Amino acid sequence: MTNDNLKKLLVYLILFFTRKTSVQGAKALETKVALLLRVEPNNPKCFAEGIRDLTCFWEGDQERADSAKQYSFIYKYQNENSNMCNVTALPAAGSKILYFCRLSQTQLFVPLDIQVFRDELLIHNRSLHVELVFLLDPPANLTVMHTEKQGQLKVSWLPPPLKYMADSMMYQVSYTMAGDSMEQVEEVSASSELILHGVQQASKYNVRIRVKLDGVSYSGYWSAWTDPVLIETMPGDPDPLTMSVSVITFLFVTMLSLIVLLFKRRFLVKKIWPIIPSPESKFQGLFTVYGGDFQEWLGHSTGGLYLRPAYYFTEERPSPLEVLSEARLGTSLTSSALPTKALAVLGDERDEEKKLKKMDSALLERWRETSHEPWLMDQLRGLHQLPAPQAQCSPLESHDAYVTLSAQNHSGVEQLDDILEETSPLQILFASGRTHSESHSDLGSLQQSSGSGRLSSQSSFEYPNNTWPPKGPGYTYMAGADSGVSMDYSPMSLSRIDSIGKGVIYTNEYKNEIPVPRQPLQLAF
Amino acid sequence: MLHISSRGLLALLLILSELPSPGLPSPLRPICDLRVLKHFIEEAKDTEAAMLTCKEGCALWDPVTVPQTKVDFNVWERKSTLEKAKEVQSGLWLLTQALGSLRGSVTDAVLHSHIDNSLRNILSIGQVLRSLNFHEYTPPAVGVAGDETWRVSSAPELLQVHVNFLRGKLHLLLSNAAVCQQGGS
Repeated sequence: MTNDNLKKLLVYLILFFTRKTSVQGAKALETKVALLLRVEPNNPKCFAEGIRDLTCFWEGDQERADSAKQYSFIYKYQNENSNMCNVTALPAAGSKILYFCRLSQTQLFVPLDIQVFRDELLIHNRSLHVELVFLLDPPANLTVMHTEKQGQLKVSWLPPPLKYMADSMMYQVSYTMAGDSMEQVEEVSASSELILHGVQQASKYNVRIRVKLDGVSYSGYWSAWTDPVLIETMPGDPDPLTMSVSVITFLFVTMLSLIVLLFKRRFLVKKIWPIIPSPESKFQGLFTVYGGDFQEWLGHSTGGLYLRPAYYFTEERPSPLEVLSEARLGTSLTSSALPTKALAVLGDERDEEKKLKKMDSALLERWRETSHEPWLMDQLRGLHQLPAPQAQCSPLESHDAYVTLSAQNHSGVEQLDDILEETSPLQILFASGRTHSESHSDLGSLQQSSGSGRLSSQSSFEYPNNTWPPKGPGYTYMAGADSGVSMDYSPMSLSRIDSIGKGVIYTNEYKNEIPVPRQPLQLAF
Repeated sequence: MLHISSRGLLALLLILSELPSPGLPSPLRPICDLRVLKHFIEEAKDTEAAMLTCKEGCALWDPVTVPQTKVDFNVWERKSTLEKAKEVQSGLWLLTQALGSLRGSVTDAVLHSHIDNSLRNILSIGQVLRSLNFHEYTPPAVGVAGDETWRVSSAPELLQVHVNFLRGKLHLLLSNAAVCQQGGS
C-alpha cells in the first residue's frame, strides 16, 4: 500500500472514531442536560466534567425566535476581570432551544460569578464554585460476580479517571430482584468494589451504579445510572433447619428399616431370595456319591428303578401306551421320505411351538387337532389302509402292532423338548412279514411339544379283546409291524407312563415276541 | 462528638509519632490519612456557617491579608513540590494571623469558639506537614505579599477563604505527598 493510501486510511480512521466519539459525546451531553434540567433549579445550569472545563446552558424563550447572537455570557472569577464566553444554540426535544457556553480553562476553589444577558438585558445571574458542580460520566466496566459465600455478590467497577479526586468519589450501587419493584441501595466511598449482602439464592438481580463527589473538597450531582447488569445468584445449600430435619428423618427411616429387618429377617429373605428347590433329596446319593452322574446313579440304584420315572414327571401324568396289532403296511415307503416328513412336521411343530409358547395351551391343542390330525389320519389311511376312525378298529394281527402315544399338558416344557429332540426322528421299527428289514412307521409326528396337543400312548395290549377304542381326532396312530427287531426306547422317550398306582409299568425294551395279552410293554429308562 | 474524636485521633497520631526512643529523636511518622484534613475542612465550614447566622459582635475590625485560593491546574501542575509546599505553608501562616485578628474583634461566644477551634486545627495541620517531611515555614520579616495574597475586610470573606484554602491547595498538597505515595501510613 502506498504512503498516500496509508495517509488516506489514517485520516479516514481518525474521522470515523472522531465521529463515533462525537456521537457518543453528544448522547452523553444530552443525558446530562436532561438530568440538570430536572434537578438544578438555578440558571444558567452549569456542570464540570473534569478539572479544566465548565459547561453552562439555559433554555431559550419558546415564544421568541431568538438567535444565539442575542445572548451574552459574562463570567468573572474572584479578584479578576470579567470575561465573555461565546454562546451557541442547540435544538432540544420538544421544540426547545438550548443556549450553551463552554469554558475550556477554569479556576477551582474560588467563587465564579456568571451573568447572562439577552439584548443587554440581564436574564440570569449566578455565583458558583466550579469544584462544587461536577457531573461525572457513570463508572465504566461494571462487573458483578459470585463470591464463595452464599447470599453475596461482588460488584466492581472502574472509577472515573479524574486526577486528584480518587479519594473524593462516592458511589451508589442499586440492586433489584428481577420482577420486584423494591430497590436496594448501598453506598461506598473511595473504593472500586462492593460486596452486596443478603441477596437471595437462585434469583436474578439487576445491578447498576452511579457516582458523585463526596462534597468535602469537591461536590456535584449524581451521575446517570449505568446500564444494569443482570446476574443470577447460585442456588444455595439447604438451610440448617431443613438439613437437620432431613438428617433426622433419614436416621429414623434407617432405624425403622433395621428393626424390621431384625424381626422379619426370615420373611424378607424368603421373599427376596426364595429357596430354589433342589431335587437332591429325591435322588439319594446322586450328588454326594455319584457327583451328579445320573447314568451311573441309575445303574447303581436299587429298588427305586420303577419308582424313579414317576419322579421325573411329578407334574406330568404319564400316558398309557397301547400297542395295537393291525393289518400289514400297504405301500412301502422310503425310509427317508416319511420320517423326513414326519421330522419336518415335528420340526415345524417344534418351531411353531417355540413361537407359540405363550399361547394358551387349550388354543394350541385345538390348533394341533385341527391342523395336523387330518393329515396324519390321511397318511395313516394311505399307508396302512386303515379305515377312518370308527367305533371299532380292525383286529390286530399278531405280528403287527400299533402304538399310540398321548401327550398331556405339563409344565416340564424343557424336558419335553429335550425328549423330542432326542427321539426325532422317532423310528419305530415294525415290519409285517419282513425280516431283517426295517420299516419306519409314519406318523412320527408326535405332537408332543410342550403344552400342546394331546398325544396319548396306548398299547393295544391293554385291549386283549382286540377292541380298539376310538381315541378321537386327538390321537395319532402309529403303525408298527412286528419284525422281530428289538426296539429300544431312550430314556427321553415320548412315552408317558401312567401313575404307578395304576399298575402299568413300561420299559424301554420291546421285543417282537408273540405278545401275550395283557403283557405290559416295558419301557426302561 | 465528631470534634472530639477528630482531635483525639490527631492527638493520638501525634503522640505515637513523637514517642521518645533511646538515642537520637526519630522522625515523625507520616500522617497520610486524609480523614483528619476532611474533618478540619468540615469544621472550617461550620465556622463559616456560624458566621452567616451571627448578627452582632462578629465583624472584622481591620482588613487582613489572606492567601489566594484559586487553583488553575494548568498552572498548579507546572509548579514544583517545594513551591507548592511554600505556597501552602505561607498561606496557612497568613490565615493564622487573620483568624487571630478576627478572634480579637468577635464578641459572639459561639463564633469565638469556632474561631479558636479553627486556629487549633491550623496548628495541627502544621504538624501533619512536618510529618510529611515538609520543612517548617519561616515567615518573612516584612510579611507575605504578592500575587498569591489579597486583602479581605469582612469576616465572611475571611472564613470563606479559610475554607477554600483548606479544600484546595492544602488538600492537593497532602493528597499528593511523596511520602504517602510510597505507601507510608
